[in-house]
Amino acid sequence: MGNYLGIDVGSITTKSVILGQDDQVLAKSYIRNSGRPIEAIQKGLEEVLAQVGGSISIHGVGTTGSARHLAAYLVGADLIKNEITAHAIAVVDFLPEAKTIIEIGGQDSKIIVLRNGVVVDFGMNTVCAAGTGSFLDQQATRLGISIEAFGDLALQADHPVRIAGRCTVFAETDMIHKQQIGHSVEDIVAGLCDSLVKNYLNNVGRGKEMLSPIVFQGGVAANRGIQKALERELEVSLVIPKHFDVMGAIGAAKLVKRANLFKTQFRGFDLTQKSCSTRGFECSECENQCEVIELLMNHHVVACWGDLCERYRHREKA
Amino acid sequence: MKVTFPHLGSMHIFCKAIAETAGIPYIVPPETSRKTLTLGALHSNECICLPFKMILGNFIEALQKGADTIVMVGSGPPCRLGLYDLVQKVILEDMGLHYRWLTIPPRLTWRAIWKNHEETKELRKELSAKNIFLFPYGLWMGWKKMMACEALEKLAMKVRPREISKGETQRRWRQALSWVDGAKTPKTLEGAVKKGKTLLQEMEQDHSRIPFKVAIVGELYTVMDPHINRGVEQKLGELGVEVTRTSWFSTHILRSVRQNKANQASERIRFFEASKAYLDYDVGAECNVSIGEAILRSKEGYDGVVHLMPFACMPETTASGILNKVGKDWDIPILTLILDEQEIEGRIQTLLEAFVEMLEWKKGVA
Repeated sequence: MGNYLGIDVGSITTKSVILGQDDQVLAKSYIRNSGRPIEAIQKGLEEVLAQVGGSISIHGVGTTGSARHLAAYLVGADLIKNEITAHAIAVVDFLPEAKTIIEIGGQDSKIIVLRNGVVVDFGMNTVCAAGTGSFLDQQATRLGISIEAFGDLALQADHPVRIAGRCTVFAETDMIHKQQIGHSVEDIVAGLCDSLVKNYLNNVGRGKEMLSPIVFQGGVAANRGIQKALERELEVSLVIPKHFDVMGAIGAAKLVKRANLFKTQFRGFDLTQKSCSTRGFECSECENQCEVIELLMNHHVVACWGDLCERYRHREKA
Repeated sequence: MKVTFPHLGSMHIFCKAIAETAGIPYIVPPETSRKTLTLGALHSNECICLPFKMILGNFIEALQKGADTIVMVGSGPPCRLGLYDLVQKVILEDMGLHYRWLTIPPRLTWRAIWKNHEETKELRKELSAKNIFLFPYGLWMGWKKMMACEALEKLAMKVRPREISKGETQRRWRQALSWVDGAKTPKTLEGAVKKGKTLLQEMEQDHSRIPFKVAIVGELYTVMDPHINRGVEQKLGELGVEVTRTSWFSTHILRSVRQNKANQASERIRFFEASKAYLDYDVGAECNVSIGEAILRSKEGYDGVVHLMPFACMPETTASGILNKVGKDWDIPILTLILDEQEIEGRIQTLLEAFVEMLEWKKGVA
């Protein structure tokens, strides 16, 4: 059947995977965007290519994540899929009996309810990004600890502090107060994990039927403090897939494989050698003042978007 | 005197028609844009909902363009929306803008009529005998145009999921609306509607497609204005969904003038009654109707319900909690979308795509 490439460009990290003949993960990469998704996609491609020994033929490319369209323009994707479906597809193959998926990423948190391998309900944070990984990131930086050590530190707490869970912006006020009256860093970190979990369950998880087996994935699934806090609240143990951090990308690759393509649009791995950049300008044709983006590859405009009226997109076609 | 009104949905078209026909000078607020929202948000309380900010922005832009009289519909408590006209008045006064205000009463009561009489006392002095004489005719033209806009939008909602070239319905629908807007006599209006309907019907369509049927429910300003809901109706249509909604200007006007028991608005009574299984009292605004409609749509064989609400909207927050249970009890997928100032179009697209895919899964299409 061939090899398929899946790319999941989230708000904080970019995930790339190559799936082989039998859907096995041949290569995977998980890197931070640092606000530069294009560079991150190029770097991700470089990394997966290196892992398979510098050359591989790709039969199809699927993109997902909040920057799935940007990624698709850049790499020449055959399929663009929303991240909810991509995550669900990856889990259905990994654990067909799964009933709930908890996915907490950098800026997004989702819940997907599955029954008999089919999505029956889902939820995602919309206007508010509280209860996501970037908040933990920020607090880790403030406390001077690495995000990787964060979760294990939480497990060492004796008495996790109580932190208001309504909103993480409010939680910060509460947390600083606890810090100033002398609570240990471990207890504060554990309190933060509890607060994030409560926030997630109250907002994204509200009203959803969370039956076991529950699969926990996304970047935050690496955080053992959060895992324990979730397990405590839900009173079940969670299943964490081996490739928990790249499940969206795996889903995208699987979906493109299922699409049974005739020929891929993939621009090829030499994309990593090209100079790719975007150029934005504010259109002043109407009150909307759209911020239009042009994608340049080796100094040529190859795609354009952001114009509500689509005038630039059409000009490009003409 | 130069009157102005909210841009909201097709409201600017029929309000303009009333003024134009009666010979009263008017200013149509500029099309709602990011600038409108920025202005509205800057001058209102941070916690207030998105429709309030959008409408306030419309008024500020219209006043800046030279309007001096604002016509706004009032509504009732308990929701903050009921205080829209009162609060907006205070804000505009604080901004130092000069204008006169006319509230169209939400319910025809003696008190409302008296208030209306007081407000119009000054205004009437500025109107000529001709204006006053033509006013009933203006109202009639306005009503006709409103019905025309609604008929065209309903048709667009029907053909959109079957369009071959994506976005074609939207272009044709806007064209048809501009014909309606431009019509000056009952005869030309009739012609414009006919031409508009033909334009939409003659579009290249795939009639073999069987679209999903989804009902849009929720807070009425959010449901009716595509600028507030970021084009949910169009987005769903272009994903191949036939959208239905029961919140129209005509429904709300008929309800206000207590015509609801008679004809068109009776549907809403039905929804209200259906919500009683979950709610024993009237929460206010559209809350009970949103719940009741979801229940009945499930019985009618609809594939799903999309529930729209502005962030922090009290009645609809109440509804969203209950809708979770309704969805399970009646086995109908319900997606609640919360709208606020942020640019969340991408997120809305993601959620709607996933929602439609879920419907496909449910039906066993995929």
